[in-house]
Amino acid sequence: MNAPFFKYGLFNDEVSLIVAVLIGIGFGFFLERAGFGNARKLAAQFYFTDMTVLKVMFTAIVTAMLGVYFLSVIGFVDLSLVYLTPTNLLPQVAGGLLLGFGFVIGGYCPGTSCVSAATGRTDGWVFLLGIFVWIFAFGEMFPLLESFYNSTPMGQQTLAQLTGLPYGLLVFAVVVMALGAFAAAEWGEKVMAARKGGKA
Amino acid sequence: MTTHATTSTGTHEPDAVASARTPQPYTNPYLAGIGLGLVLLAAFVIMGRGLGASGAFSTLVSVGVATAAPQHAAGNAFYGAYLATEGNPLKDWLLFEVIGVFAGGFLSGVLAGRIKRTTEKGPRISVRGRLTFAFLGGGMMGFGAKLARGCTSGQALTGGALLNVGSWAFMMCVFAGAYALAYVMRRQWQ
Amino acid sequence: MKDLLKNSTLNQRLAAVALVLGMLALIAGDPYQGRTATIDAKELAVIVQNEVDHISPGDLADWIIQGRSDYRLIDLRSEKDFGGYAIPGAENVPVSQLTDHGLMKNEKIILYSDGGIHSAQAWFLLRSQGYKGVYMLRGGLEAWNDDVLFPQLAENADAATRINFAKTAEVSKYFGGTPRTGGTQETSARPSIVAPKLDTPSAAVPAAAGKKKKKEGC
Repeated sequence: MNAPFFKYGLFNDEVSLIVAVLIGIGFGFFLERAGFGNARKLAAQFYFTDMTVLKVMFTAIVTAMLGVYFLSVIGFVDLSLVYLTPTNLLPQVAGGLLLGFGFVIGGYCPGTSCVSAATGRTDGWVFLLGIFVWIFAFGEMFPLLESFYNSTPMGQQTLAQLTGLPYGLLVFAVVVMALGAFAAAEWGEKVMAARKGGKA
Repeated sequence: MTTHATTSTGTHEPDAVASARTPQPYTNPYLAGIGLGLVLLAAFVIMGRGLGASGAFSTLVSVGVATAAPQHAAGNAFYGAYLATEGNPLKDWLLFEVIGVFAGGFLSGVLAGRIKRTTEKGPRISVRGRLTFAFLGGGMMGFGAKLARGCTSGQALTGGALLNVGSWAFMMCVFAGAYALAYVMRRQWQ
Repeated sequence: MKDLLKNSTLNQRLAAVALVLGMLALIAGDPYQGRTATIDAKELAVIVQNEVDHISPGDLADWIIQGRSDYRLIDLRSEKDFGGYAIPGAENVPVSQLTDHGLMKNEKIILYSDGGIHSAQAWFLLRSQGYKGVYMLRGGLEAWNDDVLFPQLAENADAATRINFAKTAEVSKYFGGTPRTGGTQETSARPSIVAPKLDTPSAAVPAAAGKKKKKEGC
């Protein structure tokens, strides 16, 4: 077991920052490849005309999930050293809803707005500005929000720990669910395209 | 399998600074997703952490506040968390990662001929209207991302792959919230 | 089948690969290799504060005498020490093998060691792995010796204490110990103990419990 490499001390902090840039480049690259620098394409997800967001997101989740699962099971990766953000259920639910609103109103999420800005979109830059301003607002309001922010803590919880089901079973379930979602998405896109074609 | 050519309905700027090549169709979403997933996996294996974006912005905001009003920043639990590192708080992994995101996005855009000075919007709304919504949307995103301890990259992608309970709950809520408001916002996009 | 492979699109092939890997996951096992522990720090802190996780040697002695069999008594010391003397009904399990031993998570488990350190550490480990009914013998074997086997009655004890001591003395003799009266404060000169013949049913140790480990993720 010698991964994650950084946690086993294979390289120091300075090098990790270089790794960060490289990983970020890969991240931004594939986001743009998928067309996520364009707010209209992102927003189309929520009108069922273009389900790319769902396809890319869940394919990425499934890929990384399968990868980290099998690497852990064979003992290459020590999964307990991979950081799992602690769950605070209520603020995460509230934040998620707010994010969803922001997604369809603004047309981006923080990562894709960077890609959009990098490819010249003015709305991407303005979106970023909005993020900054309102993070600042959050910071200023934090004393008021603090108790809500820290409410309903559940610690670091995986779905396996929560449900008591075997981790591998949940991996399988996620794969099946994702494949089902993809099939539905393809079907939905066809229907919407036909409808549009019929109208015109 | 649908590939989409970039039709330019609704883009506004006539003097678009486009590269000489015509924009290329987007990659197969599943292949792009696999690429993204492999990048995330690399982060797991190399760093023992996942991706993110909103955290980098929080760091910048915190450093900004600390520079302008150090006492105020130190006393605030939120800013403090981003300033608590020994050494320069700007030497933050996420911040460097986000710099990479800009670079990678730009690189892909150049290769595909998709660099364009423009504002993406639907045909039924003005540029000003679109930009106003972009600002508001960005604001909600920023605020919500802080409440949720992450955004779609940090929580949904990273936490989703690790079967994190909070992340899956978060993801469902993001989709729910967006779909809920989609009808109200339709004029902006269609 | 060959036609299927030939005529399938790229997306369909990707989906097939994902499905195969997903099915493989059903049998591949736990990626955490059984190493995780969930700690509700607040809950544990409250329990520790309220000392509801302790059992005194006197209470344990009473349970043994009453013939209760609703608990498992675990001796965390080495095999050699266990062979020297052990509290009746105890099973010898070193700390490192605790999670493999086949203990049930809702069983009552009482841990003891020489003092309290190993039992406290083992208590924490088991609790963080989800064992709810874990208790420690307060003071460990040393307290067992002092309170149960070789209880001491002070010379100037009052009447009420002497009456209580009568019962304590009986318990001590039951376990093969020797109650001590008078001023002898020596703790080193203890007669060796004859292991008492007790009718307490030994805690039912499932035959395969030692080797059978509940596999998660299978």
